[in-house]
Amino acid sequence: MLLNYIKIAWKVLLRHPFYTFITLFGISLTLTVLMVLTSFLDHLIGSHYPETKRDRSLYIMQMQLNDSSRTSRQSGPMSFKFLTDYAKSLKTPERVTICTLINSSNAYVGSQKIKLNTKFTDADFWRVADFEFLEGKPYNEQTIASGENVAVITDDLKKHYFENSSESVLGKDIEIETIHYKVIGVVKGSPVTRPFTYADVYFPYTAPKSNYQRNDMRGGYVAIILAKNESDRKEIQDEFQSHIDRIPFPGVQDGFKYATLEVKSEPYLENFMGPLLDGNAGLKTIFFGVIAFILFMLMGLPAINLVNVNISRIMERASEIGIRKAFGAPIRTLMWQFIVENIFITLIGGVIALILTVIVIHLINTSGWIAYADLTININVFLISLFVSLIFGLLSGVLPALRMSKLNIAEALRG
Amino acid sequence: MIPHLLKLIWNKKKAHALLIVEIWASFMVLFGLATLIVVNVRNYREPLGFTYENVWAIGLKSNQDTTDLANKLQRVQQRLKAYPDVESVSRMSNNFPFSANSTNNGIEYKKRKVLADFYVTDEAFAKTLDIAVPAGRWYRNADSVGKYTPVVINQKTKDELFGDENPLGKVIGERFKVVGLIDNFKAKGEFMSNKPAVFELMKADAIWNDTMLIKVKPGTDAILEAKIVKDIASMVTGWNVEVDYLTDSRKNQHNLVLVPIIIALIVCSFLLINVALGLFGVLNLSIAKRRGEIGLRRALGATSGGISTQFIGEIWVLATFALLIGLLFAAQFPLLNVFDLQAGVYVTAIGVSILIIYVLVTVCALFPSQQAAMIQPATALHEE
Repeated sequence: MLLNYIKIAWKVLLRHPFYTFITLFGISLTLTVLMVLTSFLDHLIGSHYPETKRDRSLYIMQMQLNDSSRTSRQSGPMSFKFLTDYAKSLKTPERVTICTLINSSNAYVGSQKIKLNTKFTDADFWRVADFEFLEGKPYNEQTIASGENVAVITDDLKKHYFENSSESVLGKDIEIETIHYKVIGVVKGSPVTRPFTYADVYFPYTAPKSNYQRNDMRGGYVAIILAKNESDRKEIQDEFQSHIDRIPFPGVQDGFKYATLEVKSEPYLENFMGPLLDGNAGLKTIFFGVIAFILFMLMGLPAINLVNVNISRIMERASEIGIRKAFGAPIRTLMWQFIVENIFITLIGGVIALILTVIVIHLINTSGWIAYADLTININVFLISLFVSLIFGLLSGVLPALRMSKLNIAEALRG
Repeated sequence: MIPHLLKLIWNKKKAHALLIVEIWASFMVLFGLATLIVVNVRNYREPLGFTYENVWAIGLKSNQDTTDLANKLQRVQQRLKAYPDVESVSRMSNNFPFSANSTNNGIEYKKRKVLADFYVTDEAFAKTLDIAVPAGRWYRNADSVGKYTPVVINQKTKDELFGDENPLGKVIGERFKVVGLIDNFKAKGEFMSNKPAVFELMKADAIWNDTMLIKVKPGTDAILEAKIVKDIASMVTGWNVEVDYLTDSRKNQHNLVLVPIIIALIVCSFLLINVALGLFGVLNLSIAKRRGEIGLRRALGATSGGISTQFIGEIWVLATFALLIGLLFAAQFPLLNVFDLQAGVYVTAIGVSILIIYVLVTVCALFPSQQAAMIQPATALHEE
């Protein structure tokens, strides 16, 4: 029976190529936009190279200090010392790494300037983030203790800085702001959209200009906590909070008298959304209002359009429906037929969308718009889009089918 | 004719409800996009107020060094002036033009309050960025001895704080004395709205104003830059030295504005193409279904021009219904002063969107209505 419906659907599609085109255009482009967006979101917040263990990680990025009247506040990353005292000392996690967010710097090769993003990290950084080493190996606790000026660079920087980039650059010298570093490893870079791991050059935290000696609580460092497994994260958060609760109030930091202090260890998504959700209620409403509006327009307009086109198409087939009704087909069967038909065309649109998405994603990945972009269609994204396709099919199928089923036989047969 | 068309549409209101919703939604999308574009085009047309070519911003960070910072900064500035390729050097706070940083403070004059961007600069600032001072003069380093700190304000600050009064020589915020007036200063690039700005003379011993703006001779490249970085690094060991070309920073600021607009444009044009195709399809079918009616009218003597006018008129009436609903929503924006934009922006955006909607529906109705006009009364009536 199902096969029969699909056969009819196929014939109907071929009979009016223009309407088929309109319908497929609407479905496939809407789905493409949605899929590219989900793929981009997945790129931003999903577990990807080199942060492949993001699902069992907690991120500490911001410390917020408020004064007693809550009229002024300071916020930002923390000092190396603060994180060593309160995060590194945690018992429950597998490991904790402390690193800076992105710092910028320049290197010069002849009359060329290379803009660099640098990062100071501890040795655990290389165990928390899964970098792929193309050459050499990371620095470890011994390297850091010996106080050598070493650096791990990305393949991209290697290509730009060294003239002959096909040979190994291990042990070679790289000069950044008049300080010489020995290259001990080359990694495949991380995309700029992952601020916790992205950089062109990685230094041990003891390298010059890292400011790890600061005694204040605020500074340039953040931390990633890696839990043994996903379910441990709650316990770690509690333990971290109990460490934070040990800090006495009120205190003075950089001449700023604070009465409350807030540091959170959060899963990546919450950490990412934090600045947006942290705002006052009005801002939140506007933010979600805008998102809801965009989604509504993105989904709603094509859906209304589809319903419109489908109503016209089905009304055109009034005589066919009339005959089937005259021969005793119940409304349920007819509706079922049209729903199947719509799902069928939506799925075809979905397949086209999938192909278009592959093309768009490939273009984004190769355009250099985001260096090392690794947008992918993974199973999740595909399933979401398939689900969305089905919703679309039902949305645009049920309404016209309902209207059609109410047609009275005599009228339908007249055509 | 129009009342007749209204009647026709009203009789089929159920069939047309979805079309109206579709046109309404398209109007709302267009209105949003048009507002965004109108705002930015308006801003873009206002002059920037300074030049940025061949200007570099050198950011210094003292890191763990805490001794004698003021003196070291002054020595760096002197050293920079000594290069033959450097035309002028100015030291300022870290919110240099096109940077991501900003500082603002509220200032008051006779109960009028303004939230202005504050820039702490020295006497060479106007020369480095080629800022004209039409009234008064730019402050000099020697001016710092007086009771009040000399400030230069821009036209926007003057308008909001002083109105028609002459601002020169007036004391604002109990601490600043206005010595000069400049035109625009849009520090974040052409797309930024013109905001009140106040330039304050830097104290000689200030240690936190650690950005140097230098203007170099045209054609100077990274060789000089590398030399400067190396020289400064050897003068002040352990410091960070970062060089930004203002032309690059400007591009970043522009991308922050342009990228969202381009994405919105792509998505909107896709939505509109979608709607246009849908409208076209629906009109095509509904006209095909009314062959009998058209044939009858032709037989009774209607011209083919009259027929196509009728269909275009019908879709216009439909679009007008949808736009009236849309206007109910859109009119709230200028009335309630949402997002603090001038009413003119919204009115222009509404006008543009209405125009585009009418063009869109006309184009979509043109072909089907022409088809309708070509229907021969004999064939159509025969089928019936």
